[in-house]
Amino acid sequence: MNCSTVDLKAYFLGEVARAEKSSVEDHVRACQSCREELDRLKLTDTALRSLVDEDAPQRIAFVSDKVFEPRWYRSIWRSGPAMGFASAALLAAAIFAHGFSPNGYARPAAAATVNTAQMEQRIEREVNLRLDAAAVRQSQQMANLLDAAELRYESKRQADLAGVQQAARYYKDQTARLMMAANKQETPGQ
Amino acid sequence: MIFREVEDRDLIAQARRGHVDAYNVLVSRWEKRVFNYLLRMVRNREDAMDLSQDVFLKAYQNLRKLEDPAKFAGWLFRIAHNEAYSLLRKNRPEGEIAGELKSGESSSRMFPIELNLAVQSALGRLSDDQREAVLLKVYQGFKFEEMAEILSCPVSTVKSRLYTALDLLKQTLAAVNVGGTE
Repeated sequence: MNCSTVDLKAYFLGEVARAEKSSVEDHVRACQSCREELDRLKLTDTALRSLVDEDAPQRIAFVSDKVFEPRWYRSIWRSGPAMGFASAALLAAAIFAHGFSPNGYARPAAAATVNTAQMEQRIEREVNLRLDAAAVRQSQQMANLLDAAELRYESKRQADLAGVQQAARYYKDQTARLMMAANKQETPGQ
Repeated sequence: MIFREVEDRDLIAQARRGHVDAYNVLVSRWEKRVFNYLLRMVRNREDAMDLSQDVFLKAYQNLRKLEDPAKFAGWLFRIAHNEAYSLLRKNRPEGEIAGELKSGESSSRMFPIELNLAVQSALGRLSDDQREAVLLKVYQGFKFEEMAEILSCPVSTVKSRLYTALDLLKQTLAAVNVGGTE
């Protein structure tokens, strides 16, 4: 096995068959340039893996909310035979109710209003929960950003300070040099 | 790992029978990986979030079409790949090069946040195909064969994209001292 036949990247990425692995390792032990190449690959991989996975800014909304879950009436709606049976039962109940109703028609049920109100309450509760969670997440993100900005600002400030100190030293030296030169010029004339 | 695979398979079977909770568990298990893959592909948080939603919605709608539940990860990332590319094609004209990192911009000593930026920038210099190959291999740990299925291309193409990307990253990140020390 020589450098041209060794697939170093495949070996590094764990894509070399077990049988071939030991011969690649033997070659790498004996070949300095392949060892160096492998080191470079490891450094690159380490740098790449330093990238931390972020949390999704919000949960995937799809079906993660109970309020979006299909209800029993939806499953009936989706099921053809059950829907047919339910329609027949509903029709029979309507005819039966119509027969016994003094006014000749069934009064609308209050249950529908209650269900809507309950549903609205649930939605409102879910929305509030999510808003609170988003606020907490945002303040955490803001704190992280501020920390990072503070870190950068501090290092910049230190660099600026060092620059100012260096400039001050330079001007101090220059002034001293000019003063000495001026004194020297005055001395011969006296 | 075996237990995990069995669990995913079981969840998929339940979700196919209409158990929404089972699908919720699958979503919570995979959303971070899918979101980060999309974030590094499209490099925009809001787009990545929107695409993640679409990916899980499409996965749910097509769950019955998944022939082998053991291949759920590859299948899910295939959907994510399609979503990412449809946005990239829409947003970016053919051949446009992503944000460049000026030479000498990376220093020999870096804070973790700077290293993060350098890596992000180095990934941004790659073509979409090359970057995706790195994301699927290095960050998601897919095998060459699985990547070929996700990307609908031969294994030789996967290797070629990945190897070129690694060579470019090696050069770009050579100046970065990973340990943060001189």
